[in-house]
Amino acid sequence: MSQIRVLSPIGVTAAHTASLPRLPGSLAGRTVGFIDNRKANFDRLADEIGAILSAEHGVKAVIRRRKANAATPAAPEILAGLAKDCDVVFAGSAD
Amino acid sequence: MRALGISLPMVAIEHPLGGERPDGVARRARQAVDQIRGLLGRWSSGASEIGRAELADVSTTSEIERAEPAGVSLSPPSVEADLTGPVTIPDTAEAVLAAFCERQWCDGLPIVPPTEARVLAMLAGAPGDRSLGAMPPLWRLATLEKLAVNAVMAGCEPAGFPLIVAAVEAMLDPSFNLYGVQATTHSVAPLLIVHGPIAAELGVHSGSGCFGPGFRGNATIGRAIRLILLNVGGAWPGRHDMATQGSPAKFSYCIAERADASPWGALHEDNAVTVFGGEPPHNVNDHVSTTAAGILATVADTAVSLGSNVGWYFSQSQLLIVLGPEHAQTIAGDGLSRADVQRFVFENARLPLRLLKLGGMWGIQDWPRWMHAITDDDALLPQVPSPEDVMVIVAGGPGKHSAVVPNCTFSRAVSRPVRPI
Repeated sequence: MSQIRVLSPIGVTAAHTASLPRLPGSLAGRTVGFIDNRKANFDRLADEIGAILSAEHGVKAVIRRRKANAATPAAPEILAGLAKDCDVVFAGSAD
Repeated sequence: MRALGISLPMVAIEHPLGGERPDGVARRARQAVDQIRGLLGRWSSGASEIGRAELADVSTTSEIERAEPAGVSLSPPSVEADLTGPVTIPDTAEAVLAAFCERQWCDGLPIVPPTEARVLAMLAGAPGDRSLGAMPPLWRLATLEKLAVNAVMAGCEPAGFPLIVAAVEAMLDPSFNLYGVQATTHSVAPLLIVHGPIAAELGVHSGSGCFGPGFRGNATIGRAIRLILLNVGGAWPGRHDMATQGSPAKFSYCIAERADASPWGALHEDNAVTVFGGEPPHNVNDHVSTTAAGILATVADTAVSLGSNVGWYFSQSQLLIVLGPEHAQTIAGDGLSRADVQRFVFENARLPLRLLKLGGMWGIQDWPRWMHAITDDDALLPQVPSPEDVMVIVAGGPGKHSAVVPNCTFSRAVSRPVRPI
């Protein structure tokens, strides 16, 4: 049977150099942030997680910031504020 | 984020969260905290396998997988090979289709094998390594060569390649929000609207059945865009395209506007393409109205429903009205301009606050302050921010039908000229 050579349609993966610091070993005394994606119940979930982390893991403060809507990125000032004030940030995703 | 070269730890909880009662939310919070505990001190961007191993032990992951029917895998292809490089396969139609399906390189339909010779012919001398930018959701580079490979596969003629390139440039405009269009659970797909003489030159049909089959230009150019979104952007259903149901418009969605039958002329006279992140067309059936008011009342009523993502979510909402030529003539016969049509739909495609409170997106809508301030349950609220957010074109053949195409609120229509590459 004859053969045919075809090119791949998959896009080219770009080279990146970014990296993230290691997660801390403990959240005691830390400030935890949440990016609220505005989907239903995320505010309640974040508040509940924050309460558990405060009660059981010694988290010092919990900050929750809401995006303008679920489908667009968080405003730069929200990201800058969380980056300045928080040690760990959780971003809500999905429904 | 892994596509950007950054691995992030992830906490996965039962889906969905929306609609759950307080005890269900509390259960999910506990699931999250248990996983967070496992990640602390053990995760760094260079050790993401730890995070994934933690996830594998979470019962919610298997529950998510069980939510899909048996017999269909949403997993990445199992082919043990470099999926980004050329492959040599048996030269039969059946073997080529099987190989492309196995690698998840196509939409499930037969393709034209993208040989180097065919891809070079598609490029017609354009530099294959030129990139139009990174395409979400996996942020792979949209090089001209990769666009050409997908255009060959779709069955496009080389003459249509500049149009495809212009459409990709338009989709990569930040205001189109391609990341949202690609990844959302909504059924949105980019609709290509071709303007100017190039539409006829490329065989992009604007007449009878223009949203349907039978026309190579519409079918293959629209399909090329979908293949690019799948293969370059990486929006595979159930993985990175999270559409709950998707739509047939995700196979191919391309029409031309019918300037010759438009009482108001074309939206763009010159060769251009508009990308509009839209739902499939909603039919407007009006066989009896003999006035602009009658037809536009039917249009406006078709545009509004509680389940529409447009309007009740509001932010950046747009409506596309595709008038059939007969409806357009009746409306223009009453002296209405295109701007009048936009104003009429803006003023009449509305629902009362009391209805909006019943469900849909109530409680998470992104409304301006003046709308939030309204307390009168009988107040009629608009779907789009302004009359200019109602786009009006003419397309189709004989008959008393038109279409409304709501967008997926967070995406704005973008037009680009079609020029030689």
